[in-house]
Amino acid sequence: MSLKRSLNQIAAIAKTDFLGIVRNKTAIFFTLLFPLFFIIIIGFTFGQSGTEDMSRISIGVVNLDGELVAVNVTDSFNSTIGDMLVQGLENVNFTVTEYGEYGDRDTNGTAAYAISRGDIDAILIIPANFTETLTFQYTGNLDIPVATKSHLELYVDPTDTTGALITQQSALGFISGFIKEYQNIAIEQVMPDMKSYIEVLADPITISVSEAEVTEAKLQWIDYMVPGTLGLVLIWSGLNHASRTIATERTKGTFQRMIIAPVSPTVVLLGKLISALAIVYMSAFIMLLSGVLLFQANLYWDIPVMILAIFLGALSAIGIGLIISSFAKNEEAADSISVIISVPLQFFIGAFFPLSIMPPAAQAFGNALPFTKLVNAMQDVMTRNLPFDAVIPEMLYLAASGLILFTLGTIAYRIALKRL
Amino acid sequence: MNDIEVDSVTKRFEDIVAVDNLSMSVEKGELFGLLGPNGAGKSTLTKMISGRLHPTSGTIKVGKYSIQDDPMKVKELLGVVPQDIVLYDYLNAKENLSFYGRLYGLSGKKLKDRINELLQFTQLDEKAVKRHVSTYSGGMKRRVNIAAALLHEPQVLLLDEPTAGLDPQNKHALWEIIQSLKKQRKTIVLTTHMMDEAEELCDRVAIMDHGKIIALGSPSQLVKKVKMENTITVVPDKTSPTLIEQVKGIAGVKNVYTAPDENEKRETMKVITDCPDDILPDVVSTIVNTGTKVLSVQLSRVTLEDVFIMLTGRSLREE
Repeated sequence: MSLKRSLNQIAAIAKTDFLGIVRNKTAIFFTLLFPLFFIIIIGFTFGQSGTEDMSRISIGVVNLDGELVAVNVTDSFNSTIGDMLVQGLENVNFTVTEYGEYGDRDTNGTAAYAISRGDIDAILIIPANFTETLTFQYTGNLDIPVATKSHLELYVDPTDTTGALITQQSALGFISGFIKEYQNIAIEQVMPDMKSYIEVLADPITISVSEAEVTEAKLQWIDYMVPGTLGLVLIWSGLNHASRTIATERTKGTFQRMIIAPVSPTVVLLGKLISALAIVYMSAFIMLLSGVLLFQANLYWDIPVMILAIFLGALSAIGIGLIISSFAKNEEAADSISVIISVPLQFFIGAFFPLSIMPPAAQAFGNALPFTKLVNAMQDVMTRNLPFDAVIPEMLYLAASGLILFTLGTIAYRIALKRL
Repeated sequence: MNDIEVDSVTKRFEDIVAVDNLSMSVEKGELFGLLGPNGAGKSTLTKMISGRLHPTSGTIKVGKYSIQDDPMKVKELLGVVPQDIVLYDYLNAKENLSFYGRLYGLSGKKLKDRINELLQFTQLDEKAVKRHVSTYSGGMKRRVNIAAALLHEPQVLLLDEPTAGLDPQNKHALWEIIQSLKKQRKTIVLTTHMMDEAEELCDRVAIMDHGKIIALGSPSQLVKKVKMENTITVVPDKTSPTLIEQVKGIAGVKNVYTAPDENEKRETMKVITDCPDDILPDVVSTIVNTGTKVLSVQLSRVTLEDVFIMLTGRSLREE
C-alpha cells in the first residue's frame, strides 16, 4: 500500500475524529471549555496575588488621635501623626474607611458592625494620645516629657482565617515601615548626637526580605498558573479525548466499518493520535491566550520547547486514554472512568496548589506523574525564562513516560481490535 | 466463475462451534441469500468473509484472493453494508462518503465524481446533503449507508439486513437499488430475515442452522424440495359428492377432500393444486353454479417461510 494512500487515510481519520469533537457540544465542554473554565475561575480568584496592589484589602480606621504635632518637631508636620498614618495607608493603596468608634456588631455605622458584615477586612484603632506620646508632649505629673510608648490596635476578621492572615501581614508590614520612618525623624530631630546608639537600641538586629532576581519582571501568581494549566490541558484534552475516541466509535459501529476497509490498524491509530494532538495543541493555545488576554500573564515564549514538551506529555495522556478506551465496555463507561481519573489527578500536578503543602505520599505520587513534570518544565521555561538545558531532566522523564504509556495504550488498542 | 469460495470453514469460540465445516460458493453476478435464525452462524460467516474474524480452519477466497493470505486485496474487492446505520451522525452525507472513499484510497477528482454519482443514487436533495446525518429519516440513512459501501465500486457486496426497520415504500425502493446492482453484475450476498425479500431478490438461498447449511438452492427449488402443497380452502354452506366431483374435474386440481368444521358444523373443502392463483376463479364459479353459497375462501401457498420452519423448526420472525 502506497505511502500517499496511507497518508490520505490518516488525514481522513484525523479530520473526522477532530470534527467529532468540535461539532459535539458535550465533547467541546469537557475537552476544551472545562480547563478554560478552571483557569478563569481561579485566575479571577487568585490571579493578581503577588502584586503590591493593596486596594483589595479594606481597612476600617478608628482615628481617636486629635492632637496637632507642634512641640518637638518641625513646622512641616502640621498634622497629627494619626492623620499621617491614615494618609500613609491610603497612599499605599489600602482601601480605607474611617469610623468614629469601634462600637459593637449591632450598631450600624460603627467599625465592629462593618467587619461583622464583611464590609471591611480589618480595623485599626489609633489611640487618642497617639501624637502626644510620639512627640514627647506627654508629661504625666511631671514637668518634663516622659517617654511613653503608643499602642495601635489591629482587629482582623476571625471568620476568614486565610484572608485575616494576609490582611494582618500587609497591615503590619505597612505599620512597621511607618514606625521606622518615625524613628528616623525622631532620632534626627531630638537626639542627633546619640543617633547611632539610639538606632542600634531601637533595632539591634535587622533583616531584609527581598525577592531574588529570578525573573526580570515582577511576578503574579497567574504567571505560575498559566504554564501550570498546560498540565490540565493534557489531562482534560489529551486523556479525556483519547479515552472517548475508540470507545465511541466501537459503540456506534464506525470502528468496525473502518477496519473492514483496506486500512491497517496502525493507520487508524496514527489518525487518532494526530487528532488527539490537534485537540491538545488547540486547547493549549486557548488556555495560554486566555491567560495572556484575561489576566495579563507575563510569560516567556520558547515555542519549540513548549511544542516538544506538550507533545511528549500528550503521549502519556493519550496512552492512558487509549488504555481506558480499549477496555471500557462502551462510550459511557469510558467517559466515567476518564472523569474518575481526571478530576483527582489535576490536584496532584502542582497546577493549582504547590505539591510542597501536601503529605509526603501525595507529593511522591504527584512527582511521579508526567503531567507534573510538564508543569515544572513549563514554569521553568515560561515563567523563570530558563533555557532548554535546565529542563532536560523533565523532558527525558516526559519522553520515557510517554513512550511507556503510549506503548501500553497501543497494546491495549491491539487487544481491543481482537475483541471486535 | 465464483467470486466467493468458502471451503471447509470452521469457526470455534472456545467450546462453541459457530460455523461447522461449511463449504459454499457464490458465482460472479449472483445474488445469494443467507437465511437462518439467530445463532445459526450467518454473522460469523460474513465476518469471516469480510476479514473481521479469522477461520479456525478452512479457507475463504474472494475473487482470486485468500482472505487469510491477502486480506487487504480482499477488502479492496468487498463492499460491506452493515445491518446498523454506521455513519458519523455529526457529518453530512457528502462528508461521510468522502471519509469512506478516502479509506478505500480514493482522492481528488475521482472521489468527487464518485460522491456526486452516489449522492444521486441516494436521492437526497441539495439541502439534505448539507445537513448532518443525524437529521435524516431512516430511509435516507439506509441509502447513504449503502452508498458508503459502493464508493470504490466493489465487485462483491455483503448486505446485512439492508431493509431492516424500513417501511414498505422505502423497502421496495431499496429492493430496486439492489436489483440495479445485480444488473451491474455485482456479486451480492444478502443476509435477511425477510422471506419475501429473499424470494423476490435472490437467485439462490442458503438456509443455515447450527453453523451448517441445511438447504441450498433457488427459492423455487427449495419450495419444491419440501413435501408441502398449495391449498385452496373453501367453506360452502353445503357439500355433496356431486359438488366434489365437479371441482375435481377442474383443470389443475390435483385432489379435493373435505374435513368437518367442528365449530360451524359444516364441511370445509380442501382443494390441492400446483397453481392456486390460476384456478381460484374456476373453483369459486363451479361451486356457485351448483347453487351453493361460498361462505369463505382461503388460499394457502407454500412459501420459503414454510420451508424454513420445516427445516429449522422455528419461525424466522420469532428470532
